[in-house]
Amino acid sequence: MNTQRVWFAFFIVLALTLNFGFFVGEIDNPHHHNPYEFFFALVVSLIATVLKVGDRSHLGAVLLATSLVADFQLIAAAVIWGYASQVTGEVSVAVMASVVSFAGGAMLANLTSVILLIAETIQLKR
Amino acid sequence: MSSNHRGRTRIRGAAMWLLLLELRTPLITLIITYSISVLGLVLIPGMTSEGSAYHLSFLDAFYVVSYTATTIGFGETPHPFTSEQKLWMLVVMYSTVISWLYAIGSVLSVISDPAFRRLRAHQRAVSRIASQKLPFWIVCGFGGAGSQLIRFLDQSNIRCVMIDSNQARADVAKLSDLTYELNILVGDVAEPQTLVDAGVQSALCRGVLVLTDQDQVNLTVATNTRILAPRVPVYARSGTDANTRNLRSFDTEVVIDPFRVAARSVTQLIRKPCAFALYHELVDPDLNHIDVVEMPAEGHWVICADGRLADTVVEAFQRDEIPFCLVSNQAPKDKESVTWVQGLGTEARTLRAADIAHAAGILAGTNDDGDNLSILLTAQAENTQLITIARRNKPTSEPVFGHGHFTYVLREGRMIAQEMYARITTPVLHQFLGQLELMPEALVQGIIQKLHARLGDQRPELSHFDLVLDSHNAPGVLPFFHTARTPKLEDLLIDPGFGYPTMPLICLLLVRLNGDLVPFPGDGLLLAEGDRLLFWGAMGSHHRLQFLAQREDLFEAILAERHRVHSR
Repeated sequence: MNTQRVWFAFFIVLALTLNFGFFVGEIDNPHHHNPYEFFFALVVSLIATVLKVGDRSHLGAVLLATSLVADFQLIAAAVIWGYASQVTGEVSVAVMASVVSFAGGAMLANLTSVILLIAETIQLKR
Repeated sequence: MSSNHRGRTRIRGAAMWLLLLELRTPLITLIITYSISVLGLVLIPGMTSEGSAYHLSFLDAFYVVSYTATTIGFGETPHPFTSEQKLWMLVVMYSTVISWLYAIGSVLSVISDPAFRRLRAHQRAVSRIASQKLPFWIVCGFGGAGSQLIRFLDQSNIRCVMIDSNQARADVAKLSDLTYELNILVGDVAEPQTLVDAGVQSALCRGVLVLTDQDQVNLTVATNTRILAPRVPVYARSGTDANTRNLRSFDTEVVIDPFRVAARSVTQLIRKPCAFALYHELVDPDLNHIDVVEMPAEGHWVICADGRLADTVVEAFQRDEIPFCLVSNQAPKDKESVTWVQGLGTEARTLRAADIAHAAGILAGTNDDGDNLSILLTAQAENTQLITIARRNKPTSEPVFGHGHFTYVLREGRMIAQEMYARITTPVLHQFLGQLELMPEALVQGIIQKLHARLGDQRPELSHFDLVLDSHNAPGVLPFFHTARTPKLEDLLIDPGFGYPTMPLICLLLVRLNGDLVPFPGDGLLLAEGDRLLFWGAMGSHHRLQFLAQREDLFEAILAERHRVHSR
């Protein structure tokens, strides 16, 4: 067993699960979406990105791309949320809906990552 | 095999990846310390100025952590911190600042790593070579010959890519004063990948010039090029006859042996000083004057040399039947027929034994510059009328040899550069030089006198150029072929200016379309379409000739004038 592979898979799967946890619930209801869960989803997604850097295989490149997409979606969501709560002063229903939908997009990217990871693992076992 | 090769090129194109890989740990450390710090600040309750509890927002927390980590330290926002917050801030300060510095330090150490910088420089050079738009030659080895040749070729607007294994020499090459930016690749030339990186397989690669002083390396480069790019010609330096034969066995286009070139130059100087002067004016772009050395009619030569130069020079002198006396520490191969004095030649005693007082000239050709200078100074003291030929080994000794008032200095690098230059610039020049070797000395002397007559009292700088009579280069001349006024060579040399004077030019060689060579063609020779002409004369006059060849009206006027004069 390779410890590095464990951490690699751990962070990729954790990014998806946290993302999912934040995403479920009514899309425009702030009570269904925990900001701390969002924070962890973003941090874990960033760590997963760094872990994917440096693998020069074709699969590694696609994995990195999906991770970058997830980061981009989550950061966009964070900016919208932060701007609404701090600058505008009010998190409206529309803002909440767009934050959650951005996170939903990130979740799709993370899902792709996990599928690729599973595909690679199955190929390895043969 | 091919996947292996692809893998290597990928690694070579991966300086950025290397940087990212090195930064993995610092980046993860940074993300984790940042996130823990932010989370702590959000969770720990603060106190507003009115005394009510509040929590920092993620934005505020991230803001505070960011300016703390980067040691900017704006202060406590949005309200002064409570004791709990201050305790947490202590943890934040030390952990984030340290992880931040660690990350920055890693970036800097990777960037300033010599291996990383070499990789980057190599990548830049390779991508510049790949994006090159003009034809180029690959020069392997930036020694005396390489640096000289790159400069010579630059004067003819021919570009080069340079490969050298030595970083110090590559730095010197960077400083060379050229009209374009020389692409320099630092790497082992004997490795095929280096040649590929230098663009040997590019359609723009005109040839590979292998100039290192190691025969084995030159041989390897020549074979590698043969296989990697069969159509690319290889010009190689070779230091031994065995290596020359080896190179020729797989059709290396040009093999230049500096020792043989030196021996040929010396005998040519002695037997045919006019041909020697003409030859060197033509093959050396730095030499723009023709100075014929006056050779004493009699007297023997003293040759102070050892090793390979002694062998080749003795062989050449024997072939040309020039009397000589060899001064050498080693006995010559052929003891019976060679007059030999044992010694170094730096002492007057050995030189007297070689009868220096009655000698015509001396060749100081040992492989030590100090010895050579000592030999020549001693010899000049013994006989002031001597013709002196010096061998310069190290390029750094040039100032002494340049100021030494010697008749001729053998410079290995320069000789190789001249030989290769003559073959690269224009094919007609090389054809002419082949003819020159066969020509009687009196004929060459006549040609030099003819040019001097055309130049009159002036002694301008000299140069050569070629002209092809085709639709591209001479549209003004073409219409007159196959007419009653078919142009003669002399018509081409008329200056279209006032009074129709003759241009200060001589035609050295005319090559017919079918390959026939006419050396020193007479002025009355009829020209034909497709003729290739090699001209030699005052520098700058080629502009006038090329202009004339473009203009049908001017050429018509010249032909009319010529016929008027003739019919009168």
